[in-house]
Order: sequence, then structure tokens, then C-alpha cells
Amino acid sequence: MELSNLPLSPEQADRLAVMAEAERANEYLYEILDIGQYMLQSGAEVSRVEDSIRRLCFAFGAERADVLTITASIVVTVYSHRFGALTQTRRIAGMKYDLNRLELLNQLCRLICSEHPSPEEMHEALEQIMAVPQYGFGIQLVTYALISSSFSLFFGGSVLDAAASGVIGILLKYLERMIQGVDAGPLLPAMLCSCLGGLLAGLAVRFGLGDSVDMISIGNIMLLIPGVALTNSLRDMFSGNTISGLMRFIEAILLALTIACGFALAASLV
Amino acid sequence: MNEKYAMELATAFLGSLGFAMLFHVRREKLLLASLGGLLAWGVYLLAGIWWTEDVVRYFASAVTLTIYGETLARVVKCPATLFIITASIPLIPGGSLYHTMKFFMEGKFDAFSQQGLHTVLLAVAIAVGILIPTSVFRLVQQARRQRAASRKSV
Repeated sequence: MELSNLPLSPEQADRLAVMAEAERANEYLYEILDIGQYMLQSGAEVSRVEDSIRRLCFAFGAERADVLTITASIVVTVYSHRFGALTQTRRIAGMKYDLNRLELLNQLCRLICSEHPSPEEMHEALEQIMAVPQYGFGIQLVTYALISSSFSLFFGGSVLDAAASGVIGILLKYLERMIQGVDAGPLLPAMLCSCLGGLLAGLAVRFGLGDSVDMISIGNIMLLIPGVALTNSLRDMFSGNTISGLMRFIEAILLALTIACGFALAASLV
Repeated sequence: MNEKYAMELATAFLGSLGFAMLFHVRREKLLLASLGGLLAWGVYLLAGIWWTEDVVRYFASAVTLTIYGETLARVVKCPATLFIITASIPLIPGGSLYHTMKFFMEGKFDAFSQQGLHTVLLAVAIAVGILIPTSVFRLVQQARRQRAASRKSV
């Protein structure tokens, strides 16, 4: 017997409508979480992500929206008197600063709040943003060399030190690309990079291609050390997001310890 | 001495430019962001005339660069974080953090605790220096929005 051909009582019809509404709300919530996830992964502060998600939920008619974001996860619950509470959670892994993407996502949020597009349109806009190209490998090589040389000079190194630091920076980028595919957490790549950086700096000085191992290394250290993460973790804590702040703080300390370990290991070898 | 300052200012600019590129900042914002780094270090050096304490100089610099970032964000219409993160690069206590961990590795615990405290204090100075102007800007914006809303309802 075909169920769909049966005539529906008004209560049944209403129930179906409510179910359809809940389903639609779930689709919206999924896209909203996508935006939140990408914002967090591009380096947005926790408070910004929470605020944006809350605004988006209200824009689509949620009567109440509770958002909890910590660096590793987002939890959102929206309420409506029609279908009650809906919750979705997202596990967030990996974070890499992309301020251009963050800016575009921010613009998208504002656009969504004013124009209320459908989930499909939101998905499409989001895909467009994620497809915006990042700087290519060649420019990234230049970037690494620029940062290394600049900070070598900044901390008082000689021109020769800066040149050596720049070349080592380029080699580190190559190493980073080589081990990119290996899924070993953030600490092992940092260990390898700092160890290689220390070794090369030691060799450069030994062969007369630099004056001071410390001055060459400091340029490469600035590339690797999570100084920005440390400062931002304190910003998180001071603005009331204690859990996220503490997580990022501990991550930064561990990473810094690993890097010091790598350079110490290299120093004992050269 | 002047030469040293000029070198520091030039490399503060280039270092911020490098990090701005690393963080995928685009075109005209690249220049504005790195100029923020130059400004940050300039204020740090200038503050040295009145204060000798590093923490105070870092704080003064962070406040200035945040005002710069928040103002630019309203002109160019993009998140202030973009300018604040890149402009604070010369202040970032990366070297200090590294030395802290190096002392730890070497078992020099006295030096470690001293350097560690210094690193955390610098980071706190930057964080608070960024937070205060940001909150002020946000308060002003909220007040403006409320006034606009109340005008509309009348």
C-alpha cells in the first residue's frame, strides 16, 4: 500500500512541515559550521568565530543560538519553538594563517546576514572562496628567504649571516614540502626543520660562509618559532576564552621546546 | 648608533612584509601591513627616550599599532586582525621564547625562569596593548549603532 497516497490529517501535515523545517535548518547549520570551521582554520580569533556563527544563526531565524568554540572544536545549538533544539558539532584539525581567506569569509558573513541565501548558494560561495589561489611555491621560497635574512639582520647579524640564513630558509621550505604529506603531527616536522637549520648554520660558519651560528640561526628560528601563536593565545585568554587560550599557549610552548631541542641536537653534531 | 636604528627599522619593515606574505595578505594591503611593522618598531625605539623598561615600550608600541590597524580596517574595509597580526611581527618575542627553551634544555633553570618570565611579560604587554584599543573601538562602534537605531525608531 502506498503511504504517500493516504490523505493526511491536519496534525500529520503539520508534523511533516515541522520535520521539513528541521531538516532545512540542519542544512543551514551545516553550511554555517563550514564557514566557522574555515574561519578558525584561517587564523580567526575564537571570539570572532563565535560571534559570526551566532549572527548567522539569528539571520536565519533561530530564536536562540548557543555557540561554543575552542581551537579544536565548534558546538552550535539553535532553538526554534517549531522543532525544538538542533545541535551540530565539528572537530577542527590544523590551522594555518591565511588572512586573505579570512577577509573573504568575513565579507561572506556580512553578505549572508543581509541577503539570506539558500544553503546551496552559501555552499557555492564558500567553494569559490576556498578556490581563491594562495601564493605559489616560488613566492613562498622568496618569503622564507626574506623572513630569515631580515631577522638575521634585525638581531644584529652581518650581511654574510643574513645571506646564509636566507639560503637555509629556502632549503627549509623544500624540506617542509617534502615532509608535508607525512601525517606526523606538528612536532616532528618542527624537529626536523630546526635540526637541519642548526646543522646547515654550523656548516656555513665552518666553511666561512657566515660569521656567527647564532645570528644565522635566529633568522630561521623566527620562521619556525610560534611567537605569533604565543601572543594570540594570551589575547584569547585576556578576552575571556580561557580554554582556547590555554590550549594554544601549551601548543606554542611545546613547539618552542621542540625547536630548541632540534637546534641543540644540531649544535652537538656539528 | 643611528645606523643600527636604520637597519632595525628597515628589517622590521622587511620582516613584516615577509610574514604578511607568509599569511597570504594581498597586494595593496601587503604594503599597508608592512608599514605597520615599521611603525611598531619606530614607536618602540622612540619610546626608549622616555622609558627604559622593555615591557612598557612594547605596550606603547602595541597600542599604537592597534590604533593604526583599527583605523585602516575602517578605511580599507577588512578585518583589523589582518593589520594587527602583521604589524606586531617585529615585537613578537620569538627570539626570547627560543632562548627560554634553550636555557631549559641546558638545565640552566635560573636563567630559564628569568627569561621565561620576561617572554611571558612581553607577550602580555603586546596582548593587553592590542586588547585595550580594540575594546575602545568596539564600544564607540556600538554606541554609534545604537544612536543610529534609536534615530530610526523615532
